[in-house]
Amino acid sequence: MKSLWLLFFIMILPVTLYAQTGQIEVTASGNRLLKLAVDAPRTTAPLANPATAKVAQDVLVNDMNVSGVVTAEGRSSQPDSRDLLLADFNYTPWLKAGFDMLVKGEYSLNGDRLTVEFRLFDVINRKMVTAKRYLGSPRDMRRFSHQFADEILRVITGEKGVFTTRIAYVATHTGNKEIYVMDWDGTNPLPLTKNGSINLNPDFSPDGSELIFTSYKRGNPDLYRRSLSSKTETIVSNRKGLNITGSWSPDGGKIALALSKDGDAEIYTIDRDGGRPVRLTINPALDLYPAWSPDGKRIAFVSDRLGKPQIFTMNADGGEVKRLTTSGNYNVNPRWSPKGDKIAFSRMTDTGFNIFTISPDGSSEAQLTTEGNNENPSWSGDGRFICFGSKRNGGDGVYIMRADGSGQMKVSQSKGKYFQPVWSSR
Amino acid sequence: MKKYFVTTLTGITMVALLAGGCATKGAVKKEEAVVPVVASESNEAAKAAEIARAAKAKADADAAAAAAAAAAAAEAKAKQDAEAEARNRALAASKPAGSLVVAPADSDQDMVVGRRNAENSATASVTTVSSFEAVYFDFDKSDLRQDSRDVLSKNAEAILKSYPSSKIQIEGHCDERGSAEYNLALGERRAKSAQKYLTNLNVKAENLSIISYGKEKPAVTGNDEAAWAKNRRAEFVVVK
Repeated sequence: MKSLWLLFFIMILPVTLYAQTGQIEVTASGNRLLKLAVDAPRTTAPLANPATAKVAQDVLVNDMNVSGVVTAEGRSSQPDSRDLLLADFNYTPWLKAGFDMLVKGEYSLNGDRLTVEFRLFDVINRKMVTAKRYLGSPRDMRRFSHQFADEILRVITGEKGVFTTRIAYVATHTGNKEIYVMDWDGTNPLPLTKNGSINLNPDFSPDGSELIFTSYKRGNPDLYRRSLSSKTETIVSNRKGLNITGSWSPDGGKIALALSKDGDAEIYTIDRDGGRPVRLTINPALDLYPAWSPDGKRIAFVSDRLGKPQIFTMNADGGEVKRLTTSGNYNVNPRWSPKGDKIAFSRMTDTGFNIFTISPDGSSEAQLTTEGNNENPSWSGDGRFICFGSKRNGGDGVYIMRADGSGQMKVSQSKGKYFQPVWSSR
Repeated sequence: MKKYFVTTLTGITMVALLAGGCATKGAVKKEEAVVPVVASESNEAAKAAEIARAAKAKADADAAAAAAAAAAAAEAKAKQDAEAEARNRALAASKPAGSLVVAPADSDQDMVVGRRNAENSATASVTTVSSFEAVYFDFDKSDLRQDSRDVLSKNAEAILKSYPSSKIQIEGHCDERGSAEYNLALGERRAKSAQKYLTNLNVKAENLSIISYGKEKPAVTGNDEAAWAKNRRAEFVVVK
C-alpha cells in the first residue's frame, strides 16, 4: 500500500504541479522569489507630476511585496533616449541588477484628465507580458496602480489580486465607537457612521456596495444597512433584544444574525430587508456570530451549549450541527475562507486572543498569531490574506497577514483603538 | 419567618457597626442612597476593612499622581500640600466607621476624592446615575451569587416602595476579557438573571426591561481582577 502511494507521488504529483504553473514563463533559479523592479512612470507630455508618478510606484511596490509572490523594489532607470518608448528599451541594466521582471509606465495629465499605461516585462526573456491603459482623473492614480497590481498577480499566479478592496472597522477616535471604511492598505480612511453611539460588527454585502452593522443609536442594539455611495441608512432588524453579528450570505439575498427576541441569543436568517425570519438554532445556550460557507450551504457559528464558547457548523437551514473546535476553552469569531477550505477564528489563550485557521472538518488547525491580542479575522476576497484587530507592541490597529500567518503588518495609519475589521470581498 | 430574618440581619449590622467596620458602600458614597444601608453579611466588618485597605493603596497611588500633576502646574510647596492632604485623606479612609472625607475646594483634590469614592461605591458608573446598587457576577457566569441576591432583594424592596410604577431598565455588562460579541449575549443573560429574580420578588415584570452593553460600557477602567470584578455587573436605571 505504501509503495502504491509512493508511486502516486512519483508519477502523478509532478504532472499536477506542472499543470499548475502560472501563466508566466519566468522562473527564478533556486528557491528565491522573483524580483520585480517598478520604474516610476514617466510622462511624454510637458506637464509632469513627479508626486503622481511616485504614488504609482509606491503603490505597486507595496502591493507586490504584500502579496508575498515577488519581492518588489522601486527603481529609477537612467533615462535614455529609448526609455520613453515603452516597447523598446534596454533590458541589460535591469538584468544585471538581478531583476526578473519590470513594470514601466507612462502617464499624461491634461487638465483634470489622467491617462496612464502600465506594462509588465519579462526581463529574462526580453518581452512584454501584459499592458493596461487607464483613463480617469489625477486622484485615480492610486486606484489604477492597485488595478495593475491585481493584473500582475493574475499574470504570475493565474488569479487576480484584491488590491482595490476595502476594510471596514470600528474605531474610537471620536470617543465613541464609530464605523469607518479605508482602502485595504490603510489609505483613505473615511467615517461611515457619525451618530455618537455604539456601532459594532460591520459586514460588507458581497458586491461591496453596502454594509450592515449593529448600532445602539436608538437605544437598542439594532441591525442597520448602509450604502457606501449614499447616506441612506435603513433599519434591517430592530426586534426586541439583541440584533447582532449580522453576516451577509454569499449571494447577497439573506442575512444571518443573532437575535434574542425569543429568549437568549439564537441564530436566524432574515431577508436583506429584515423580513421572513427563520430560526436556525433552538437551545438554551448562546448562539451567535454566524459565518457562511462560500457556497452558502453551511454556517459556522459560536455557541456555549457545551459550557464554554466553541465553534460549530450547521446547514444553512439549521440541520446537521457539528462541533468544529475541540481544542482551547474559548473559541469565537469564525470566518469561512472564500475558497471554503479553511475557517479562521480567534481563541482565548493564556496570553490573549490569537488567530487560528482550521479545516471545516476540524483537521489541520494552525495558529497564525502569537504576539499580543488578536481578534475578529476576516478574509480578503481571494483568500490570500486575513485582516484582524490587534493590540500588540508594534501598535494597536488593523493588521493584515497572509493566510499562513506570514507577513503580518499594521495597515491602519492613525493611532487609536481599532476593532472588528472586515474585508470587502470586492 | 421573614421578620425573624430581617431582625437577625439588623442585629448583625449593629454588631458590625459596633465592631467599627461600617465603611459600607452607602456610607462612603457621597450622594444619598435611596436604599437604606443594610449590612448583608456577617463578615461585613472584614470586608470593610479590606475595602479600606484597597482604598489606602489606591489613594497612595492617587497621591503620587496628584503630586505629579501639581508639579507640572504649581510650585513645590503646593505639591507638598497636595501630597500631605491626600495622605491624610488616605489615612482617614483607612480608618473604619464612617470617617467620610469632605472634598476640599481645590479641584485637583476633588478629583482624588471623587475617584476614590467611585472605587468604593458599588453604584458608581461613568454613564448612568442609578439609585440602586449594582449586582456582580463571576467570570463568564450569569447565575446570581449570594451577595447579588442580597442586593437584588434590597433593590426589589426599594422598587416596590419608592418606584412601584416606574419603568426600570436592567443593564447587563461584562469585563473586557471575552469577545465583544459573546459578551453582548452574556450581558443580556446577566440582565435576565437579575430581572427574573426581581419578578420573583413581586416586582412587576412589565415594569422591567433589559439591555446588554456587553463590554462596551465598563464601570471602571483597568486590566486586573479588581477592575474586571466591578465591570461584570447588572445595573438598574429608572427610565421613566
